[in-house]
Amino acid sequence: MSSPIYSVTLNYIIISVTVVKVFLVESNTANKDIRRYIAESAESHLASDGKTYFLISLRTTSSISNSQKISAKEVEITALKQGIVPRRYLRNMGTIGLVGQIKLLQATVAVVGAGGLGGTIIELLARQGVGHLIIIDDDRFTEQNLNRQIMSSEENLGEYKVTVAAKRVGEINSATTVTTFRERLTRENAQRLLGGAQVAADGLDNLPSRLEVEQACCQLSIPYIYAAIAGFGGQLMTIFPEDVGLSSLYGPPSNTMPEQGIEAEIGNPPATVAMIAALQVQEVVKIITGVGTPVRNQILLVDAREYAIDRIQLGR
Amino acid sequence: MALITVRFYSLWRSYLGTDSTTLQADHISGALTQLEEKFGHRLREKLETAGIHLDGKIQDYSFILLNGIALRNLKSTDLKGGDVLHIFPPAIGG
Repeated sequence: MSSPIYSVTLNYIIISVTVVKVFLVESNTANKDIRRYIAESAESHLASDGKTYFLISLRTTSSISNSQKISAKEVEITALKQGIVPRRYLRNMGTIGLVGQIKLLQATVAVVGAGGLGGTIIELLARQGVGHLIIIDDDRFTEQNLNRQIMSSEENLGEYKVTVAAKRVGEINSATTVTTFRERLTRENAQRLLGGAQVAADGLDNLPSRLEVEQACCQLSIPYIYAAIAGFGGQLMTIFPEDVGLSSLYGPPSNTMPEQGIEAEIGNPPATVAMIAALQVQEVVKIITGVGTPVRNQILLVDAREYAIDRIQLGR
Repeated sequence: MALITVRFYSLWRSYLGTDSTTLQADHISGALTQLEEKFGHRLREKLETAGIHLDGKIQDYSFILLNGIALRNLKSTDLKGGDVLHIFPPAIGG
């Protein structure tokens, strides 16, 4: 005769297995339903590249999301896995394809700083269809931000940048989820804030914070896309944990490192911000999709004043 | 004396009116002294015309890399023929 404890445990296991089986059957049925709804809603479309695509509209995505109680992101990923393209990503297909778009929707990208570079990065990543953004900034919008910080407006002066950025992402792409941290990234919190991200993009305006982000990314084994601007020019470098990194420009950390560069004198005009932020977004897309080659162990120097683009190979 | 190439980038290229020069020196300090004599005055004049007031020498407000390595990381500051110095202004804004 078995003891009552064993009997209770056995019953618990049997009930648990049954619950799991029922859940899986229901889940599979639900998934089949979702796939069927998507397939039935798809429309063929002859694109300008001569290829025929099957598309679903934003309205269909939203409708299936609401009726099936799943996120818009899940609907879009399920569609793409069936070879059906959410119409909003049709113009992404030629560069990254179905698989690239799925990878982006499944990705988490951290944007450190939601001001000039960061604001434009956030805007573009949401449009590109990145699935999850971590946005970190402790600052509010002020008047001097209006010239270049794309999220700022006369109406939202005084509001926290992360709050405005999260709202903006929601307006652009309901499939992109957002986690905001209204904190300044420091050595102590860097790993907590960046945890879960596959890539971190630099939207900062000072060197000490950049060094903290670089170190945290190295510890988390994720790439960090460094960029900075001044006047008509900017610079960019994608830093993987094993790469040369910022010390190749600044040497080992010391008390004599500059807090500001020549931008303190020549300023940060809007087009330079947009230009360099766009290149950072391309780096994010390349890293996540595997398309193209990131700028590693090199500093990319872009000067719009004379339209010069240079790359310098860096060493240790 | 080693014959080396100096390449200017970004704003310095515009302000100095050239993207490169060559010079002969055996040591980084000698190369920087020659650069200062040849370009320092012109750079400060251009900066001032643009409303930028930075005191000091070119090296005080530039990234300087020897063959892609920051001066502060160099094990030796001796020069050899064919070396390349890269010089550009620091950008930290965002």
